[in-house]
Amino acid sequence: MMQQMVKAEQSQDVLCKAVERMQDMGAEFADARSQTIRNVGVSTMNGELRQLVQKSSGGVCVRAWIGGRWGYGTVTSFERDAVMRAAEDAVRNASGERKSDLELEPSAVRKHMAAQVRIHPDKVDMSEKIEAALDLDRAQAVDERVVNRMGAYSEEIKENFLVNSAGSDLGWEEVRTLCRAMSVAFDGSKMERYYDGPDSTLGYEVVRDADIEKIGRTAAEEAIKTLSATRAPSGNLTVISDPMVSGLLAHEAMGHASEGDEITKRRSFLTGAVGRKVASDIITMYDNGTVPGAHGSIPFDDEGTPSSCTKIIDRGVYSGYMHSLETASQLGCRPTGNGRAESFGKRAWVRMTNTYFGPGDWEKDDLIADTRHGILCDKMVNGMEDPVGGCFEAKCLRGFLIEDGEITRMLQSFTLTGKSVEILSSADALTKEVVLDGGMCGKGIEDWVRVSSGGPYMRARMIVGGGQ
Amino acid sequence: MTVYPDDRAIQALKRYDQAEAYVSETVVNTVYIDDSKISNIETKTESGMMFRMAKDGKMGKSSVSLNAPGAVEDCLRMADTVLRYSPANSVFQGYAQPSQARISAPDVWDRRVEDITPDELRELAKALIGSCRVSIPRAQIRVSCTETRTVNSNGVDVGHRSTLVYGHFTSMTVKDHPGEGMETYHGSHLDLDPVRIGQELSRKAEAAAVCREFKGSEKLSMILPPSELGDMITSSVGSAVNGENCKYGRSLWKDSVGEEVASACLDIVDDPAVRAPLSCVFDDEGIPAERKPVIEGGVLKGFLKDTYCGGSTGNGMRRSSVEAQGAYERTPAIKPINLVVKPGRLTQDQIIEQTDSGILVEKFAWPEADELTGRFGLNVRCGYLIKKGEVVGTVNNALLMGNMLEAVKGVEAIGCDPVQMGVITVPTMSFSGTELVGN
Repeated sequence: MMQQMVKAEQSQDVLCKAVERMQDMGAEFADARSQTIRNVGVSTMNGELRQLVQKSSGGVCVRAWIGGRWGYGTVTSFERDAVMRAAEDAVRNASGERKSDLELEPSAVRKHMAAQVRIHPDKVDMSEKIEAALDLDRAQAVDERVVNRMGAYSEEIKENFLVNSAGSDLGWEEVRTLCRAMSVAFDGSKMERYYDGPDSTLGYEVVRDADIEKIGRTAAEEAIKTLSATRAPSGNLTVISDPMVSGLLAHEAMGHASEGDEITKRRSFLTGAVGRKVASDIITMYDNGTVPGAHGSIPFDDEGTPSSCTKIIDRGVYSGYMHSLETASQLGCRPTGNGRAESFGKRAWVRMTNTYFGPGDWEKDDLIADTRHGILCDKMVNGMEDPVGGCFEAKCLRGFLIEDGEITRMLQSFTLTGKSVEILSSADALTKEVVLDGGMCGKGIEDWVRVSSGGPYMRARMIVGGGQ
Repeated sequence: MTVYPDDRAIQALKRYDQAEAYVSETVVNTVYIDDSKISNIETKTESGMMFRMAKDGKMGKSSVSLNAPGAVEDCLRMADTVLRYSPANSVFQGYAQPSQARISAPDVWDRRVEDITPDELRELAKALIGSCRVSIPRAQIRVSCTETRTVNSNGVDVGHRSTLVYGHFTSMTVKDHPGEGMETYHGSHLDLDPVRIGQELSRKAEAAAVCREFKGSEKLSMILPPSELGDMITSSVGSAVNGENCKYGRSLWKDSVGEEVASACLDIVDDPAVRAPLSCVFDDEGIPAERKPVIEGGVLKGFLKDTYCGGSTGNGMRRSSVEAQGAYERTPAIKPINLVVKPGRLTQDQIIEQTDSGILVEKFAWPEADELTGRFGLNVRCGYLIKKGEVVGTVNNALLMGNMLEAVKGVEAIGCDPVQMGVITVPTMSFSGTELVGN
């Protein structure tokens, strides 16, 4: 593994040569980044080790910008000849009829940095990681109705190097660690699941600081409780989203529609919305790639722009978009560090980092007590954006019915939808604590990047529908 | 391309009770369209290896991209580390044994894909843009050539070569209340018709632009065209017939072999012999692939399995029906090669005519049922409301709710218009017992 890291570092010189080659061939702007991605994955199934794998992938992506168009060349090789061939491919791919005279305005940054972690996963013995996953699994063995127990540990270490024709020379490391328990409960006719576990851009301290036994036991006990859940009511209802579902709202309802490329294509309902009221006064929303330890945090994006905090909504008023180099130039703004790629093998375009609503001043219990009839969400499954239509879809793992200020019964999985602006304009209460939850975000149907989303508990009106 | 594991990997096969080396090499060319203009073209080359082994009940596994001379040694060393730390496993029953092919080679290589140039990709994209009356905010056409080889210590030595063509296209009207359309193309051959796709994108976006928000709630039949039904069936039925889900208690059909799980008119077979993205003679572990009935006359016939699950049916897959990159990184997992839902005789119009009260969904936000329970509650982006055999309106911003594992018991009609959607070939179908809820 070390051998590959050294090779990636040595490739810095090759990257410079590739950028020079692309410039010589006519590129108006060029960049080259090399990346090695090392993963350890451990997963268990009903007390047995199901997966234990170490992976290492690495390669180089070079880009040439000519006449308002990108050409890409990608190789799984750090060898000079292969990278130079990719550089030539990139220029050839960018060539042809000019699309525009747009000039990119990257800043030149020179910095090399290691990940800020307390316990680097490389320094932890594999046996401890295996035990962590097995402990998560064993802790779920609380009842015979838990028919399927899963424990998982995963780490990802990315080494990135980037040079560009503006003079940037960057090297940085990203470390992400995650552990998770998931239980499936079955009572002879009904099957339900529940999951729990932390994630971050931190090191192995995520596992050592966690109460592994409690995470596993919680997943199992809550899966069993969910067996008694009933179908959620349907219609336009008062909903208290938990931090996870609030985050899903931030991400799906407003986040995707605030990506600069959706604006330049006029594909977003938020095109031209800066300065417009889009939410109630209590709503402030950010995309912030600098949150220490959050799953979506990055020191630089995959174009070499330093990460930053973008205020998207400021006390109900729409405030600004996220940008890559290209969309920033198109709209005459500064790049915000949101030009991200899944890996060296994928294209970089505008993506979120950590997207969340700011806090309010309510306590959770007071918020429930203040709700006459509504639904309290508990964990999300997934969601879908609708930048064109201004709607969204959020699937919730389960929830609770609130009647006269009290929780009266548990609800099985349901879906939330509605028009984003109408929902956020109806928001009338937020709790004090903001919690972020890590996950993966795809754009269109692929290009998965690591993000987090979150917020406080939030009360608003939305359409609810429970599956059968 | 002719790929084969490096000699050092072949030698390493002998050091363990059982071992396997899998290599893949891929060339991918993609053209992206943004805002009705060609925004970039990519050329990617990738090669990588996964090495798996078992010794004294323990298992090791590692993958690397073959990016430098030391990469093979890195892979073998990492796999050995994993093996050393791995606790003994009582589930593993061994890698593939040498076997004769059970089907003739499917037609999954298209020379046109191998020979394609950036200029030809540009021409395809231009034809699409030129035939679309509305804006194309985002689209891509991706063509790939992949070669793989699976060699193991039991004597298995099988190769596979295929091309993959994937297209994802969106469209949008540019009115005050824009409508959005979407089309996809899945295939092994460059049979994608850019003009037809452009026309369909226009029609769908224009239909979505005149949708009205649905109000209230209504119980009705759900008619799903192939574009929306494909993922609904693979996420629910595909999951329920997954042998590992069955083995670990995660399938509601785990005790249902031989029982009626669907309407008598429903037949589903997993067929690796037809022209489809994942079709192959041997699966990605070297097990012979064959035609497997999954549901016959509504009765569950069996589960799909890989070597880890035991009793492999030749469904241990690493390759993806959408993305050629990364096959070497993926541990084999149970996946249908190509589920084929037997088509019926009705056209989509005839299905509408025989529907008393229903909705034909042109576009969900994302078509998907819960893989454990089959439940769904999906945002309808564009749907046609049907009353007494006629379309009476176009609606959006509503939730269509139901359960796919229940819906297959209430199949009302099966169309004659099958389309390849990833790992499934499916026609339009109509189901009873769903509910639409709006504002």
